Amino acid sequence: MSVVSLRQLSKNYGKIQALQSVSFDVPQGSVYGILGPNGSGKTTLLSILMSILKPASGSYTLFDEEPHDAHRRRMGTLLETPNFYHYLSAIQNLKISAAIKGQRGTDIEKVLETVNLLQRKNSAFSTYSLGMKQRLAIASALLGNPEVLIFDEPTNGLDPVGIAEIRSLIKGLARQGKTIIMASHLLDEVEKVCTHVAILKQGNLITSGPVDDIFVTHDWVQVAAANMEALREKARGMAGLQDMAENEGYLELGFAAGTSKLADINRYFFENGIVLSQLQPKKKSLENKFFELTNGK
Amino acid sequence: MKKLLAIEWLKIKDYNAFKVIGILFILGVFLANYIVYSVNKNIVGEMGQAGKMISFKPYDFVNTWQTTSYVTGYILIIPALLLIILITNEFSFRTSRQNIIDGWSRNQFIHVKLMQAFLIAVASTILVMITGFLFGLFSGTAISFSRFSSIVFFFLKAFTYNTLAVFISVWVRKTGFAIGLYFIYLGAENIISQLLDILSIKLKKDGVGDFGNLGDLLPMNASDGLLAFPDNPVKSMAKMVLPSENTSLVFVFALMYLALFIWGSRMLFIKKNL
Repeated sequence: MSVVSLRQLSKNYGKIQALQSVSFDVPQGSVYGILGPNGSGKTTLLSILMSILKPASGSYTLFDEEPHDAHRRRMGTLLETPNFYHYLSAIQNLKISAAIKGQRGTDIEKVLETVNLLQRKNSAFSTYSLGMKQRLAIASALLGNPEVLIFDEPTNGLDPVGIAEIRSLIKGLARQGKTIIMASHLLDEVEKVCTHVAILKQGNLITSGPVDDIFVTHDWVQVAAANMEALREKARGMAGLQDMAENEGYLELGFAAGTSKLADINRYFFENGIVLSQLQPKKKSLENKFFELTNGK
Repeated sequence: MKKLLAIEWLKIKDYNAFKVIGILFILGVFLANYIVYSVNKNIVGEMGQAGKMISFKPYDFVNTWQTTSYVTGYILIIPALLLIILITNEFSFRTSRQNIIDGWSRNQFIHVKLMQAFLIAVASTILVMITGFLFGLFSGTAISFSRFSSIVFFFLKAFTYNTLAVFISVWVRKTGFAIGLYFIYLGAENIISQLLDILSIKLKKDGVGDFGNLGDLLPMNASDGLLAFPDNPVKSMAKMVLPSENTSLVFVFALMYLALFIWGSRMLFIKKNL
């Protein structure tokens, strides 16, 4: 089952095209990252799913059905900013959210504890710091233990400890089999928690699918020797080599992630009569891959 | 709808502005009527022989319903103000979005706001009934419910004031701007209506025709026009030159405008991006 399925969704704000014919499916049980720089259309996309915005064209389904208000009650959503009544406390605000979702709110204390807000549960929302507001919004999304969670920039405004806590919370939710859709401009965040990813740039879907397929990562190793010709020759015959790039004065050898061992490489060349003058691992980060993807097209 | 209203109650029951404005309105109704009551009693009562000749007591039974409705009409902007604050809050807190995200439909959101406008009008009307009754008792005449119809007109006026508040709030969304616009609109319409009323008198005087008070056909003045100060000797003299009252036409216009504000509020909220 697809929790969310987009069919050529487009949206424009006047002349500005915020989304251009975007289609992809979010399978059940996945942690789906929507990745893109600021202004790439991530929030617009989620707002359409939440009926806040109306698409200019295209359509979408939720739980393989025509979208309906009841679907949103089955999803916990944090969209863009924490939205609460400033003059009410955390408890009072969550009572309202629970009531709208048709729940009795018996788990309010529990979700507040999950996000470490229990000791401030009776303070007015207006007295909260940015990070606390964000935590409350996450607590609100967790109400009623929904099967699907949508987080738009969930670590916004949090301190490093808070970021780590929320990431481990999201991982924990994923382990429980929940479907999580997460928009982020932080690649690192997506890399650490997501199983699938869709990359947006200026409203266009650049690519989408399982993280492993999209960020095919190699271990890159730089090698050089006095005789580059012979080095290249021998390198081709290496077991496990997947990719090779030639550079000024050195070669880059690509191996499947986690399989390169410098000692083995050194021994291989030595045994084949080549003494390496340079042997250096090079981290080809996801960051580079992301820039390649978003700048390449 | 009961569930939706229960949720709205959660939103406002601990809101200080709600309590303050509510109390202010209740006190205001009593105070405004008390001022008219005591001015009439002390000034007209002190006029001796002349005063007795035009003997007229606005808070005697029969008159009291109409007088209280008319006088209270002047402070109906207070509950309207409360509604503007409550609705524009939803936009500035962005809870209008969150309520939808959490599972309300846009229809539910705007309908419960309109229902609030209705219930506040009902509460204002009950308040006027109680006030009218109490002042009637003060005046010491026998209890009577004749000319109770002005209470119905009062309700219509209160509901119209409230739906205009909903409409403007949904339209401009910013608290200060909405309050400003509400006052400017009321003021502007009043000026235009006064000019139209003068024109109506002139048309009657010049023998062109008696068309009633044309100013009463404007949105807020229609429900205003249905509520007048009770007939009294001074007013009866003025009536010779005033155009005749066209109650049923004005009533139809008032209902029409009310429907227009309700329809407009729904349209705006349902069609616009949140």
